[in-house]
Amino acid sequence: MTRSSIWEQVAPLLRSIERPGRYAGSEWGADAPSREGFAFCMVYPDTYELGQANQAMRILVNRVNMHEGMVAERAYLPASDMADAMRAAKVPLFSLENTTPLREFDAIGITLPHELCATNVLEVLDLAGIPVAAPDRAEDDPIILGGGPCAFNPEPYVRAFDAILIGEGEESVPEVLSVIRACRAEGASRARILEEMAKVEGTYVPLLHDPSDGQGHVVRKRVFQGFGEADPWEPMVVPFVECVHDRLNVEVLRGCARGCRFCQAGMIYRPVRERPAHAIVDAVKRGISETGYEEVSLTSLSTTDHSQISDILRDLNAEFAGTGVRVSIPSQRLDAFGVDMASEVAGQKRGGLTFAPEAGTQRLRDVINKNVTEGDLMGAVDAAMSAGWQRLKLYFMIGLPTETDEDVAAIGQLANSAFARMRELTPPECRGRLKMTVAVNVFVPKSHTPFQWDAQISPDEARRRVGLIRDAVRFKAVRVDYHEPKTSFVEAVMSRGGREVSLLVEEAWKRGARFDAWSEHFSEGAWRAAAEHVGVDMDAIAHEAHDVGDALPWDHIDTGVAKGFLIRERERALAGQTTEDCTFGACSACGICHAGGPGTVLQGERVQHG
Amino acid sequence: MADPRLFRLRVRYAEQGRLAMLSHLEITHALERIVRRSGLPFALSQGFSPHMKIAFGPALPVGVGGLDEVFDIQLTAYIAPDKALSALQGASPADLAPHACAYVEPSADAASVAFPVGTYEVTLDAPLAHLSVPDEVSVMRKGKEKVLSTADYLVGAPRLEGQRLIFALRSTQAGSMRADAFADACIQLSARGADDMPKVITFMRISLG
Repeated sequence: MTRSSIWEQVAPLLRSIERPGRYAGSEWGADAPSREGFAFCMVYPDTYELGQANQAMRILVNRVNMHEGMVAERAYLPASDMADAMRAAKVPLFSLENTTPLREFDAIGITLPHELCATNVLEVLDLAGIPVAAPDRAEDDPIILGGGPCAFNPEPYVRAFDAILIGEGEESVPEVLSVIRACRAEGASRARILEEMAKVEGTYVPLLHDPSDGQGHVVRKRVFQGFGEADPWEPMVVPFVECVHDRLNVEVLRGCARGCRFCQAGMIYRPVRERPAHAIVDAVKRGISETGYEEVSLTSLSTTDHSQISDILRDLNAEFAGTGVRVSIPSQRLDAFGVDMASEVAGQKRGGLTFAPEAGTQRLRDVINKNVTEGDLMGAVDAAMSAGWQRLKLYFMIGLPTETDEDVAAIGQLANSAFARMRELTPPECRGRLKMTVAVNVFVPKSHTPFQWDAQISPDEARRRVGLIRDAVRFKAVRVDYHEPKTSFVEAVMSRGGREVSLLVEEAWKRGARFDAWSEHFSEGAWRAAAEHVGVDMDAIAHEAHDVGDALPWDHIDTGVAKGFLIRERERALAGQTTEDCTFGACSACGICHAGGPGTVLQGERVQHG
Repeated sequence: MADPRLFRLRVRYAEQGRLAMLSHLEITHALERIVRRSGLPFALSQGFSPHMKIAFGPALPVGVGGLDEVFDIQLTAYIAPDKALSALQGASPADLAPHACAYVEPSADAASVAFPVGTYEVTLDAPLAHLSVPDEVSVMRKGKEKVLSTADYLVGAPRLEGQRLIFALRSTQAGSMRADAFADACIQLSARGADDMPKVITFMRISLG
């Protein structure tokens, strides 16, 4: 059966809504595939501008399209004006390439990029005319798949999904789709499809398994075995509408072993796998010529840690000299080497430079295993000043385990010292241009980290601690910004909750919660009323610590990093002991290299820079 | 100041289909990327952040396409126009493809002012019984309402051809009248009532002169 195209119904709506280009598709690199045969639609549960550049969208659409006899398209959650117009006109959510209603696809994949997108998932399904809860779906409804970083604690999302794919999807998504296709071809029931999908490694089918059922069923995350050898050039869509990360992105390495104890990405994306310098340089050249972008970002969790980063940047700068093409790296290492690398790529432009000391005192930085010292920060400031920067941004967290008021006030004092150093190194007549932003986030305990047992502080306490920082700051040019603690609170509930939170999400969405990550849309009232209705104690989920021996809602998800390692790291944290990054030094026995798969892959020796 | 060492190529292109939904800014970014993908030897400005020496024709409102739009790109080497055209076409989405290009004198008027008169064609979903042209059109500019006199902008008489409304507007140094605002005002004045308002199906600038 040929899938329909509803462009004729969509087009009239576009004359009265904001930025209609978001819904028009037809971008460079987004050719419409056949409307026949097995089809998958990959969905980002937020607006086009936020999701267009998402790596999972790009990679998985490419992977599925490469697979014989399958096509993939993309869809995004419309902004609220368009969603309202679609509901009023009874136009269902559609894919961008062929303007095909989502419910005509065989399977739909929704990525879970952050903790505040859960109600948006339901909004996507409802706009598509698909029942928002898996048990309510009919035989012919599409199979709804989830994945992404938040899938590592899948329970708060389970109501919406028929299956949740844990880990990297390059291989597992086509495998699961092949299973669905084969089952559909032989007319198998939906129940049978669920059973068959559950046999694919890394696939969690919530209707078949409940962590509290005592079966001890464990789902092991998938790791893309061929990451290091795969061509770093990943074909991409070039949007017309201005989007976040609107540039060529080339993934240079995956994983990070720095071992910051609050960081989920640093645990779940292990092992570290570097791609070779020559392949990266070739991919960038090809990508620039095929996309027409004027900027390339070398993406990863810690790009400046790549053992060949100096060679890569040197080659790229030589290649693009005089063409106006800029090279950028997403974050700077907090030391002089990081600044050297930043100035290597910045050309003559000097925007702001960002560092993340995360905590104000050495004691607390040791607790969280953020292996930087005040000396590193000052060295980075010196290097930044001599390279011509005038604006710095420092990231910190408050509410970290063991934090005292002294640690909090020290954030302000550290900012003072860094800013005083900036002034010292700047001629008096130029000091007026110096600026510093201190960005403060509330610690959100994340599953699969050494701090997964720890509690979040309350929003009121967070505001009090931000006040301590403001009181400690002595310069007018140092601005203290903080992320709204009420949304961080919902993040903690989603991050630590169990299956009951899935009902809470559904009820909150029914009461109007959507776009929770957008402060102008976030409705604490909807969440609180929903919690009361379904009998979930949000405060307990966010603010109560667990014992190390307690069963956790995500115990059935195996990241390859051993729980024993997390316990050991937590003990070392409480003792103020740091643990070395194994890609620079000794193995820390996290277990990932013995979990099957490629283990750590480096292209050369990583060298610690002072 | 025109640089005599550069070759100024004037490119004619269409903006149609779904891409009529793009804003002028989005179109300008897309055209820059087309030039970059084409591999043509475009010139860069000097300075702290070098940018492509490209200049665009008069802007189209969101929702209005164009059959014969224009931009100028400065090249550092002479490329035969037919070769330049095929390079650009190979780098363009189908609905934003160039169809002609030719070199112009370095001293020629800028693309944004060289074509002050635009002729527009609006296709409606139902015919208008008759056509009334408003004397004034009110538009929002920088959050303030401004009333423009039609006579200052209209060129010739608008006409109806079945479900199509055709008219031409001239932009002056003082500014221009948005074609969509003018068309909306015509339709409102000419329709029998609010319940019987024909809807716009396509809206194109069919020529620039």
